[in-house]
Amino acid sequence: MSARLPGDAGEALAEALPELLSPPRRRGAVGGFIHRHPGIAAGGALVVLMAAIAVFAPILGTVDPTALAPARRLRPPSAMYWFGTDMLGRDVYSRVIYGARVSLVVGFAVAVLASLLGTAIGLVGGFVRWLDALLMRVMDGLMSIPSILLAIALMALTRGSVRNVVIAITIAEVPRVARLVRGVVLGLRELPYVEAAVAAGTRSPMIILRHILPNTLAPLSVQATYICASAMITEAILSFIGAGTPPIIPSWGNIMAEGRALWQVKPYLVFFPAAFLSVTVLAVNLLGDGLRDALDPRLARKL
Amino acid sequence: MLGYIVRRVLATIPVMGVVALFVFSLLYLAPGDPAAVIAGDQASPEQIALIRASLGLDRPFLVRFGEWAWRIAHGDLGTSIFTNLPVAHMIAQRIEPTLSLMLLTLVVSLLIAVPLGVLAAARQGSTVDRVVMLLAVLGFSTPVFVIGYLLAYVFALRLDWFPVQGYVPLAGGFWPFLRALILPAATLGGIYIALIARITRASMLEVLSQDYIRTARAKGLGQRAVLFVHALKNAAVPIVTVVGLGVALLIGGAVVTESVFAIPGLGRLTVDAILRRDYPVIQGVVLLFSFAYVVINLLVDLLYTLFDPRIRY
Repeated sequence: MSARLPGDAGEALAEALPELLSPPRRRGAVGGFIHRHPGIAAGGALVVLMAAIAVFAPILGTVDPTALAPARRLRPPSAMYWFGTDMLGRDVYSRVIYGARVSLVVGFAVAVLASLLGTAIGLVGGFVRWLDALLMRVMDGLMSIPSILLAIALMALTRGSVRNVVIAITIAEVPRVARLVRGVVLGLRELPYVEAAVAAGTRSPMIILRHILPNTLAPLSVQATYICASAMITEAILSFIGAGTPPIIPSWGNIMAEGRALWQVKPYLVFFPAAFLSVTVLAVNLLGDGLRDALDPRLARKL
Repeated sequence: MLGYIVRRVLATIPVMGVVALFVFSLLYLAPGDPAAVIAGDQASPEQIALIRASLGLDRPFLVRFGEWAWRIAHGDLGTSIFTNLPVAHMIAQRIEPTLSLMLLTLVVSLLIAVPLGVLAAARQGSTVDRVVMLLAVLGFSTPVFVIGYLLAYVFALRLDWFPVQGYVPLAGGFWPFLRALILPAATLGGIYIALIARITRASMLEVLSQDYIRTARAKGLGQRAVLFVHALKNAAVPIVTVVGLGVALLIGGAVVTESVFAIPGLGRLTVDAILRRDYPVIQGVVLLFSFAYVVINLLVDLLYTLFDPRIRY
């Protein structure tokens, strides 16, 4: 563009300003969410994908994950057997796909149960003064047993089953939730609006329901995601060392435990379940980090 | 100060009491007859009766707990059901590999994680920072045995730099000992490094925004002096806390690492004991690890005063 127009000497037109700031790009609701919370979007998408794999396992080209075929033992990965076959001739692909069910069920169940139980204990501790010291000593005691050892000790006595694994890991995870909730409750109790509610004669159950619980939801949901990730790892560890789900159930830990003896010659026996487990745990952790950043912007800058 | 130490030491007694009570009652929390559970499916009634008598199951719970705690306090952890050896003796035989593994992991992790965390904090938002944080998330999400098999596959099987499995006692020479421990320590260290790097970064960022850091820079101190002398010392309390709490991860991870690398330590002892339902051994190991964990965190608490003289209780 020329600065002078022909014919009017002396008058100069300013050059068009370069675009310093690109105009705010319009994003759809989905695009905007992904831009603002990449962790939640990526982690959530992966978790949904894994959940879909678990739910639709039977129609994902799988065969019976427990079907033995001695004639087709230890086949390497191929077009026929995508992840190969194990030493009993079972299809590793089918086993890994069905294994997603165990991991997700355990992770989700432990997260929900530990949150519920921990919240109950934390509320009692925060509200019932005379019980607080006793409850917290018990929680301190439980927390000073490394959680994997605690789960191992519990599993050593019971028969291996998915239910028992869930119970054992839940017991190991509850103290952390109880401590968290109690801390939040003790902080909230001092706030003027809670004191005002007490002064106004609101009964404790109503105060808990209306003023306390909603405020524990944010930290609790973040903690629950982390518990879900840690429970999936603990389940795999328990199965891996033979103290988890019974060997008949194809869980990722079990598949790795079975592949262990032969992993030096047949690494794929361990590789595929390991990769699925890592990606799933990573997805849940990304979701947790994203939730934490979204729910507590003050903390987000630092951690 | 002395009063604080005494009070802090005394405060661990109820915690240890709860741990002991829990470990003891584990046997009775399980559904069914503990003697039958321990004996397993193929046991005859006589064997079950024998185990019941050896555990003293016919007497009141609190009496048994008292006797058991009394024996524990005197270093008697009971007798293994499977080998008939004293549990304390079995643990003593297996403790060297586990202790070596955990100490090496601890030292190496600190040497790697703290500088990484400091670097990430010093260059917040840079590529270095992003890479460190990404590694931290990966370290958190990769289960111990996955790291273990990956490292063993690449560095032992493919490159043949280290032995694939096994343990060489320190008595067998320092270099063979170290060579056999490097991969297991790297495996065990993954999550620990992630944890410490993350908390170091967070704690350093907090400190670096303080006025005295600006003062230190204003009087012309170099970046290294500011970071490692002024800032790191003041950022140390949260880091040391997490180092202590993270020992729980090391303990849990050691059980798995020893399985992956066939190291004859306490972790393997635990796994074998589970498969044989050798409950006195499981109780002994859980108790030992838990008490060690409590003592380490007690020491960490006492360390605070070294880093922050303002903490005078």
